[in-house]
Amino acid sequence: MQNIYEVAAANKRKSFIIMGLFVVFVTAAVYFLTQAFSLYFGYEAGGLGFVGLALIISGISSIGSYYYSDKIVLAISRARPADKKRDYHFYTVTENLALGAGLPMPKLYVIEDTAMNAFATGRNPEHAVVVATTGLLSYLSRTELEGVIAHELTHIKNYDILLMSIVTVLVGMIALLADMFLRMSYFGGSSRKKEGGGALVLIGFVFALLSPFIGQLIKLAISRRREFVADAGAVAITRQPAGLISALDKIAHDHEPLEAANKATAHLYIENPFKNKIGDARGNFASLFNTHPPVEERIKALQKMA
Amino acid sequence: MPFLILVPLVLVVVWVISQYNFFVSSKARIKAAVQEIGNQLKRQADLIPNLEASVKGYMKQETKVFTMLTDARKQITSAVASGDVQKMSDAGSQLAAVLPKLQIAVEDNPEIKSDTVVARLMDELRDTSDKVMYARRLVIDLTADYNVKRAVFPTNLVANMFKFEEQKGLITPDSGEHMEVSASETSSPKINL
Repeated sequence: MQNIYEVAAANKRKSFIIMGLFVVFVTAAVYFLTQAFSLYFGYEAGGLGFVGLALIISGISSIGSYYYSDKIVLAISRARPADKKRDYHFYTVTENLALGAGLPMPKLYVIEDTAMNAFATGRNPEHAVVVATTGLLSYLSRTELEGVIAHELTHIKNYDILLMSIVTVLVGMIALLADMFLRMSYFGGSSRKKEGGGALVLIGFVFALLSPFIGQLIKLAISRRREFVADAGAVAITRQPAGLISALDKIAHDHEPLEAANKATAHLYIENPFKNKIGDARGNFASLFNTHPPVEERIKALQKMA
Repeated sequence: MPFLILVPLVLVVVWVISQYNFFVSSKARIKAAVQEIGNQLKRQADLIPNLEASVKGYMKQETKVFTMLTDARKQITSAVASGDVQKMSDAGSQLAAVLPKLQIAVEDNPEIKSDTVVARLMDELRDTSDKVMYARRLVIDLTADYNVKRAVFPTNLVANMFKFEEQKGLITPDSGEHMEVSASETSSPKINL
């Protein structure tokens, strides 16, 4: 038995640890790669130029998707705007929860799909969008719907979309940097190669090989942690863990994948939209690659609050 | 050397300013949230007579529930007219107490239950009482955040420096029916399926 304030504090702490780890990792990867660049290709501090280049390339693509995320996602998933008459519970529940959380009313959209899922996007609370499928709206009771919407509103309140965009930019930057390094070293280093930098070049090489992968894993760990934070935040708004628990249970038992989802938008949803079934031994390894923690773990965490 | 003293000093000043701004903006938000409760109750008071009129024909036999509903609505209307948020809030909870009874009356009568107008009434009533509940929740949460920051170290130093007083939020009476637990409430509920 933990109260929601303790859960929120513990979640924040774990979130900070993962993000701290991420910052250390990014700094180390950039440092070693740039050092290796300058040693390998023989010009001083030249590596930083590559970092800038990688950051710009990775940034342009991600900032674009961050600024227009709402429009892009809506266009991909062919969502229609929700109206109060047709989607009475969806509309009024969001209205009420936004009131309770002290957030402006987000824009609401509905995807015509029988798979049960919902997601939030938009760069800040003023540009927030909450999308639900017709499957979700028709199978969940009002109390369950409150849990789901409160989860999405917590993502909005915590600027999780901004956080994941930054993480994506940085992971993308490291992947590009590593890629450049590997391609260039394939063509052979400069003849002005300095003596004595062998170890550093080797470390740089190892980082180039592994860091895109490690970066991706940390990114997914952050995504999973934010789901727990959003679950706890949802309970802080509704004070009814039972609603979200039974909603997650229903969504978990629905095995229909959502056609409109793709890898780029998977972390936004309330539950993994691909519905890949995971086994035991391999499941533990496979769960490293999931954007969402297993539903059983989420329900267990919620039950502690009940 | 003066640089070494200046940097921490600037940091402290920036921190004090941000905390001061937290307290000031919190106070403004609490005030706005209290007004929001009033807004929602006004909406409730306007909505209920309309809904009552639209289902009156169906629910003639449920006179007792109707009297309760009408009483609660009258209380809200007079409380809204007085402009006292505390009174409005109390009247709102009285209405919230009538709703489950109304629900039972509807559930018991299949003819009424199947009627879409009545279903709509029930949805609207639930929504309107949810809205009041969440408006109250916001006041409670904001007040708690404010009061916690005001009490804990080191933000209490800033609160004391600028004499930020404790926020009362919504007052719940210390005595009365809601504080008492009757013998029947302590026994486990019996459910017949």
